[in-house]
Amino acid sequence: MPIDFSLTEEQKQLQALARRFAREVILPVAAEYDEKEEVPWPVIEKLHEVGLLNAIIPEAYGGMGLKMLDEVIVGEELAYACMGIYTIPMASDLGITPVLLAGTEEQKRRFLKPLTEKPALAAFALSEPGNGSDAAALKTRAIRQGDHYILNGTKMWISNGGEAEWVVVFATVNPELRHKGVVALVVEKGTPGFKAIKIHGKMGQRASGTYELVFEDVKVPVENRLGEEGEGFKIAMQTLNKTRIPVAAGSVGVARRALDEARKYAKEREAFGQPIANFQAIQFKLADMMIGIETARMYTYYAAWLADQGLPHAHASAIAKAYASEIAFEAANQAIQIHGGYGYVREFPVEKLLRDVKLNQIYEGTNEIQRLIIARHILAE
Amino acid sequence: MKFVAVIRQVPDGESRLKIQEGRVDLSGATLILDQMDEYAVEEAIRLKEKHGGEAIVVGFGPERTEEAIRTALAMGCDRGVHVVYEGFADPVAVAEALVGVLKEEAPTLVLTGGQQADWDSQALGGALAEALGVPVVAWTTALELEGETAKAKHDLDEGAEWVRVKLPAVFTTQQGLNEPRYPTLPGIMKAKKKEIRKVQASLTPKVTLLSEEIQEKSRLGKILDGKDPVAAAEELVRLLHEEAKVI
Repeated sequence: MPIDFSLTEEQKQLQALARRFAREVILPVAAEYDEKEEVPWPVIEKLHEVGLLNAIIPEAYGGMGLKMLDEVIVGEELAYACMGIYTIPMASDLGITPVLLAGTEEQKRRFLKPLTEKPALAAFALSEPGNGSDAAALKTRAIRQGDHYILNGTKMWISNGGEAEWVVVFATVNPELRHKGVVALVVEKGTPGFKAIKIHGKMGQRASGTYELVFEDVKVPVENRLGEEGEGFKIAMQTLNKTRIPVAAGSVGVARRALDEARKYAKEREAFGQPIANFQAIQFKLADMMIGIETARMYTYYAAWLADQGLPHAHASAIAKAYASEIAFEAANQAIQIHGGYGYVREFPVEKLLRDVKLNQIYEGTNEIQRLIIARHILAE
Repeated sequence: MKFVAVIRQVPDGESRLKIQEGRVDLSGATLILDQMDEYAVEEAIRLKEKHGGEAIVVGFGPERTEEAIRTALAMGCDRGVHVVYEGFADPVAVAEALVGVLKEEAPTLVLTGGQQADWDSQALGGALAEALGVPVVAWTTALELEGETAKAKHDLDEGAEWVRVKLPAVFTTQQGLNEPRYPTLPGIMKAKKKEIRKVQASLTPKVTLLSEEIQEKSRLGKILDGKDPVAAAEELVRLLHEEAKVI
């Protein structure tokens, strides 16, 4: 197959829609929701109206059937305006993906269709207060009792956890089995014993709701189990191998924003009798940002293309996620440096970029875990 | 009933343009459906939703104009006609190039932007009406069908007037007429299957473009001496009122 870097006509339209949406709907309210640490429901409602929410759900279940490449095109645009707000639909896709990967026809109809009919979110719950990177060490317990599981435990750092219609919860039927004992259960909002506590005081991405989820003798019907008992860990890993790609796309969006803000400021701000953009010290920073953006975007597209072709993509999504989040963090950092003191106050948008994009190096697998995945790929040969 | 929106594709207002050998170089520009024409597209779709019939988008310009036509289809137009022409054409020549297609469609009315963001002429609506031999109402901010006629609000510099006009007629559109909708994702997907008929334009420009340049805006650099704050404030108000004409 020949290499072709062009977007289809529909992808260009999709990009234009997402760009316009970001500029007109997200950008004007981003600072306000960051300040208030509140989920912007009016934005979520409008995302639903224009069809950009939960759009990876296939057409058979009422969605738009967006492919990964479409998703990254949208992700870069939305995150350009606010990474925190983009995390909301992104984390919903994270909740949807295990259902797409392991759900039966009946489960897909039951769980996915309602998410296309109104502004609604899904969530994914793997991390716990005592374990993150060591995901197989999870303690949340699922005990089978007839046609139900009884769920007990606590999940931590769950995006959309309090807003979601349902959460895919990873639990163990026997902790000694480690990853072989993991089960994936869909827990619906309002199930007795299931409580979501919002985590306050986040450094960035404050418009996205992050929760601690507590399960106390929660009865989950067996028909809400995705795949078989013991398949939960594999489902979680396969999900993250896909959903890290949109994290990379969001990072590219943040980096592009950092460059735009830095360029604008450097051309206006004068020092020593001329715009600071005339100085090589500034020019090199701008050039480095562009090197990062262009290469990270290309690689993110490549990882998305692999995923869409059904080719192995675990290492590529790890590379994209780690690399893009690192160039984006550095771009935000240099944008602040170029702004000097003005970059350090909230009146200018660049300090928020840094606060927001720091999380991209942590969630959906820390960048250290990404390097382990990449190293395993190297050493497997 | 048939409602036609005539559209153009133009550079986004935020695009950085440059001049290459006396011509505007659009290679680095983002090109969009002219925002003035967006009101025309929206109105055509609203009229169709209210009265039934068809909303048709007619685009004029080079091959790439198809993108703007697709945007109009994604917003909700039923089908498109693309009158293909490369290069500069003055509004009277554009109108003559479109008249064949428009007569064939025999629309209830034709809508187009009050001005064009590229070769800013404000003349396309009037020229279309002339070519079709129908009335024109410029700068409309409200439009109501009443059978054989339409009632429209026409903006004036310091007010507005309501007029009645026999149909078919041409209406030019602007901000205030409506709130153009987003081309939604389902709309984009549906637009893929909608028809765009291609017609090669035959026209003879009546105006020849010699060269283009970008206006360099220079500031007046007027500084008011603030030693007497009352006098300075009065002078500032006078300048804003009489010279800048902003208050």
